[in-house]
Amino acid sequence: MSTHNVTVVERPRRNLWVQSYLPEVAKGLAITSRQFFKNLLTGSDIQTVQYPEVKRDYPLRYRGLHRLTYRDDGQVRCVACMCCSTICPANCIHITAAEHEDTSIEKYPAEFVIDELRCIVCGLCVEACPCDAIRMDSGIHAHPFYERDKAFLNKDYLLDLGGPSTAVQGGVLGSRSAR
Amino acid sequence: MPTLTINGKEITVDPGTTVLRAAAMLGIDIPHFCYHPALSVPANCRMCLVEIEKARKLEPSCYAKVGEGMVVHTESPKVIAARRAVLEFILVNHPVDCPICDQAGECKLQDYYVAYDSQPSRVAVPKVGKAKAYPIGPRVVFDGERCILCTRCVRFCDEITGTSELTVAERGDHSEIRTFPGKELDNPYSMNVTDICPVGALTTRDFRFKCRVWLMSSTDSICTGCAKGCNVHLEHFQGEAQRYRPRFNPEVNEYWMCDAGRMSYLELHADRLPSLRVLEDSELSWPRAARKVAALLGEKATGEGVAFVASAQSSCEGLMAGREFVRTMLDDAPVFWTGRPDGDGDAFLIRADKNPNRAGLAGIFGVEVLAQDAHRLLQELERGAIRVLYMMDSTLPFTSDEMKRFRAAVEKLELFVLQAPRRGGLDDLADVLLPSTTHAEQDGSFVNEDGLLQSFWAAYRPRTQALADWEVFVRLARGADRELSFSDFESLHGALHAEQGAAQDAGE
Repeated sequence: MSTHNVTVVERPRRNLWVQSYLPEVAKGLAITSRQFFKNLLTGSDIQTVQYPEVKRDYPLRYRGLHRLTYRDDGQVRCVACMCCSTICPANCIHITAAEHEDTSIEKYPAEFVIDELRCIVCGLCVEACPCDAIRMDSGIHAHPFYERDKAFLNKDYLLDLGGPSTAVQGGVLGSRSAR
Repeated sequence: MPTLTINGKEITVDPGTTVLRAAAMLGIDIPHFCYHPALSVPANCRMCLVEIEKARKLEPSCYAKVGEGMVVHTESPKVIAARRAVLEFILVNHPVDCPICDQAGECKLQDYYVAYDSQPSRVAVPKVGKAKAYPIGPRVVFDGERCILCTRCVRFCDEITGTSELTVAERGDHSEIRTFPGKELDNPYSMNVTDICPVGALTTRDFRFKCRVWLMSSTDSICTGCAKGCNVHLEHFQGEAQRYRPRFNPEVNEYWMCDAGRMSYLELHADRLPSLRVLEDSELSWPRAARKVAALLGEKATGEGVAFVASAQSSCEGLMAGREFVRTMLDDAPVFWTGRPDGDGDAFLIRADKNPNRAGLAGIFGVEVLAQDAHRLLQELERGAIRVLYMMDSTLPFTSDEMKRFRAAVEKLELFVLQAPRRGGLDDLADVLLPSTTHAEQDGSFVNEDGLLQSFWAAYRPRTQALADWEVFVRLARGADRELSFSDFESLHGALHAEQGAAQDAGE
């Protein structure tokens, strides 16, 4: 390491006023008490909120609990392609695929479980999904669980958080050529 | 011997070689769908078009024969443009349902699209709908929309199996693979069409939606369905076998395998012995169990009335170790053999002998042992000539009636040691249970019916306490403070090769 850029700063000398401590303690207490009475009487300077009674607005792109979107008829949009569980770095998505009786859908997840204890909230599952089926924009942040199995969010739970997707299943005809 | 130049590289090949084969010899990969080395060449997919100087048009390289002084370009702008156009044509009516397609990840159309096309669709009219998820046979599912009409499956059924179930029906963009009226794709080799199908049009019912292909690991293995010993890729995910796929071996099975063999992977996890048990004690480690078993054998397995049953399902290494185990621990007891009963065979790949290693067994214990089969064992048991029985496998070729008799006879034994991967309906009778591994969980080798020694490798670790057969024998010998002449797989495998080599030299 080169030394020619080093500026030596002299340590400030402590005089008797400082070394006796008491005046400095009084100064500090004055600042604290001023702030205390100001907050007590006006409340104008408080930075914290009374969570959970009061909640801040989360930014639009905040990644909260996962949700599964559904088709227009209310069925799960996910086709169990396993892209999310493949890309998941925490290995927290477990899908069991099954045959759908409607041949235009063919494949759907019979089970879809997310282990929220393992999830690292990276959002890669959302990016990997080719069907806009999984989203993390529920706005609910992962809360603590008193029992371990409550942290395994199943398909029904995730669908309850979900809503219809704004994307069109299979894309809009001809929309890709317009790009 | 014509000499030609491909992409600036010169090569001399036999006359009659196609340009595609010549390019492959140079390590140049020409994309293709309909060409398959084991089938006739229809040149209908047009994916393998290449530029040949002085030719008027692009030529299909799978069909064009080499000529003296030919100059071929496989990556020229004209060729690339043609490939792009061919792919665009193929994709006009393709549903692009890769997320739900089982072929995704091993699909040639996907690969070539990424490599050569990568353009959005320009088609703004609805696609032509065709059969979806149609069960074209008892083991195969057909999807008409994904099909690119390369006719590999049609040619397979015409040329390899000779059963001719499939044909192309209708015209133009309504063309579709169909079975002839009243027929379905049901022959003993029908699942091979799913391997040769370059897209997801034909997939197996068994593997449907089971696992994505990119998640699986693949281990080279041998099919244990019959004595042919077809080479397979054993594909597994998280320590569980998912499927078999044939592995090319021109000396054994070429590109194919039978459906029964392909489904035999299901046995790998079925009916497994859960854990060690010696008399009533079932919470044991191997060293403790080995000492206890060795003590039991030392007490009871001496003199007359001891019998050892070798398995035609076990690897050569396991059988070699077993032979030495009989010499050192069982006082050279008489050896019987067991395995699956014979079934039907054919002239192609399926053999009547349903055991993977009967030839290996005969090589190691001597051909005489084959006369000492499970039925002889049953006679001896019922005669009361056997007090102590050590079985290397629970597979028995018995009918249910014979099985009842066998169980009754086994109940009277002084000591019954069962070393097996599967319960086989005998685990409740055994005094000692020693779980062993299947061929998917150990390295080893089989000798197939034609005398070919073929190796297989461990794909995943066993979930139970199971150990490979040879290791069980080594541990039991150690439990009695004896050593077999080998203590690791390499020395055993080397000894096996030396023995096999000597046997072959003597045979010649």
